[in-house]
Amino acid sequence: MSEQYLDEKDVRGIAEYVRIGLTDDEVAAMTVDLNNVIETLKPITEYDLEGVEPTFHPIGDLSNVMREDVEVPGFTQEVALSNAPKQQDGCFLIPSILGEGGDR
Amino acid sequence: MAAFGSMSIAQIQQGLTNKEFSAREVAEASLARVASADEKVHAFLEVTEDLAYRAAARVDEAIASGNLAAAGPLAGVPVAFKDNMNLEGTHTTCSSHMLEDYVSPYTATCVKRIIDAGGIPLGKLNMDEFAFGSSTETSAFGPTCNPWDLSRVPGGSSGGSAAAVAAGMATMTLGSDTGGSIRQPGSFCGTVAVKPTYGVVSRYGVVAFGSSLDQVGPFARTVRDAALTMNALAGRDQLDCTSQNVTCDFTANLDQGVAGMRIGVVPEFMNAAGLTPEVKSKIDEAIGKLQDAGAEIVEVALPNVHAAISAYYVLGPCEAFSNLARFDSVRYGYCDPGHKDLGGQYEGSRAKGFGEEARRRIMLGSYLLSAGVYDKYYYPAQQVRTLITADYTAAYEKVDCIIAPCAPRTAFKFGEISDPTEMYLSDMYTISINIAGNGGMNMPIGVGADSGLPIGAQLIAPAFKDENMLRVAAALEKIYGEAPVAPAFADGKVGE
Repeated sequence: MSEQYLDEKDVRGIAEYVRIGLTDDEVAAMTVDLNNVIETLKPITEYDLEGVEPTFHPIGDLSNVMREDVEVPGFTQEVALSNAPKQQDGCFLIPSILGEGGDR
Repeated sequence: MAAFGSMSIAQIQQGLTNKEFSAREVAEASLARVASADEKVHAFLEVTEDLAYRAAARVDEAIASGNLAAAGPLAGVPVAFKDNMNLEGTHTTCSSHMLEDYVSPYTATCVKRIIDAGGIPLGKLNMDEFAFGSSTETSAFGPTCNPWDLSRVPGGSSGGSAAAVAAGMATMTLGSDTGGSIRQPGSFCGTVAVKPTYGVVSRYGVVAFGSSLDQVGPFARTVRDAALTMNALAGRDQLDCTSQNVTCDFTANLDQGVAGMRIGVVPEFMNAAGLTPEVKSKIDEAIGKLQDAGAEIVEVALPNVHAAISAYYVLGPCEAFSNLARFDSVRYGYCDPGHKDLGGQYEGSRAKGFGEEARRRIMLGSYLLSAGVYDKYYYPAQQVRTLITADYTAAYEKVDCIIAPCAPRTAFKFGEISDPTEMYLSDMYTISINIAGNGGMNMPIGVGADSGLPIGAQLIAPAFKDENMLRVAAALEKIYGEAPVAPAFADGKVGE
């Protein structure tokens, strides 16, 4: 039996944050899975890492690269919209976020 | 009909030069081969017939004008791409319902370079969903079968890429590797499989999983074919600021042998729990043969490498959580119908669009990056990365290349491993290399005494010295022979 890092309430909170709608059964199963996986990560919390600098990226000393400020061809509006599930008047279409039927 | 997918790059180009066949015939026969063999293997998610014929026409024009070389170093070679690589006009699904209907509006740099080099694109290849997995069992469109034994997994996540080469459907394919996703399927399917040093190949247009870990590389049946592909792939791309200016010829030292090379053996790898006896004995045998061929075998320690798996399963999900936030059901991707509010549309679309493992990793990454938890896992994982990188740097003061197992065991049966944390262990030998960023590759060294299935040696090079591992691989190839097409698919057979 592994340690309980998260309960179902925590998992519901995470699901809401990452915008994944889970059913009650899925929340229960996910809670078990996540606790099991987090248990396997325990070693990372137990190493003596005092004074060790982190490495956030395998290639160090990267500096920002700016290209010449010249116009190059990019996506047309039509191409940019070509994979949109819904569109209208050359724009991405989403459900209303203000007013009736709007925000939660 | 000639089995072009079973031929090497040199064999194909010789045939083209001698006018034994045309590039169009290569395309035609290769597409026919995919149509028959893939019924058993299910490596392909999409076949790109039009693109194949168009590429072949360009090669045939070059031949007609007496200049095959003008068509590029991969002219006429049947190739295919993992389905997380954009190719304009094709579906790029990442084996996910989320991207089932997505059609690429542009082409990834790695794909463009292969097609510009004359490759004939046959199609797009199955994978674990968003590359989360080691078996292709998480693909939303069904798993790929291992050509050596159709009841077994091909490994993953680039399982389709490995299986297509092992079944003689393509001469070369591309995959991507975040924690072992090129090398482990290479080991399970018995193909040469190269994960270059991070920064050698542009990641532009490859759907991101772990942006500080992902790297693209080739599958092939010969070391030279893999090296020729590396030549076409490598180098600076303005569209990926992490890609480096690499100009080396990866084929240059393939014939040099290993005499005088110092090759490292790591006790932490060879004595690890979970390494099966048949894999261990094959690796020991390969070490002995390299020594016989003149290499100096040196024991090197990687004292922190045991921390790699837990560091990876912190860093990978954190980066994946961030990368997969882009699937918003608005610009592209699955949109769950019928919602009256945007929040509900997000939640419904992401719940139904993502499979179980993708949802698990997104949620794990979110948890690990949350306030209070970050300091306990994410930050220490990045500190561990410093230690593992320093271990490799110290080891490479003593050796030019390291040899290790690629996977602890041979290919497992479908459904055999259902616990996600147990599945994660199949990458125990490959993960530390992504953490450190250097190059690693699988080199087939025959089949296991117990299983009769392919076993691979993993060769691990210092950062930006990928030519070292290719040189050792070429020496092993001289000893063990070129990687064969799986027996049931050899000589044009289709899995009987």
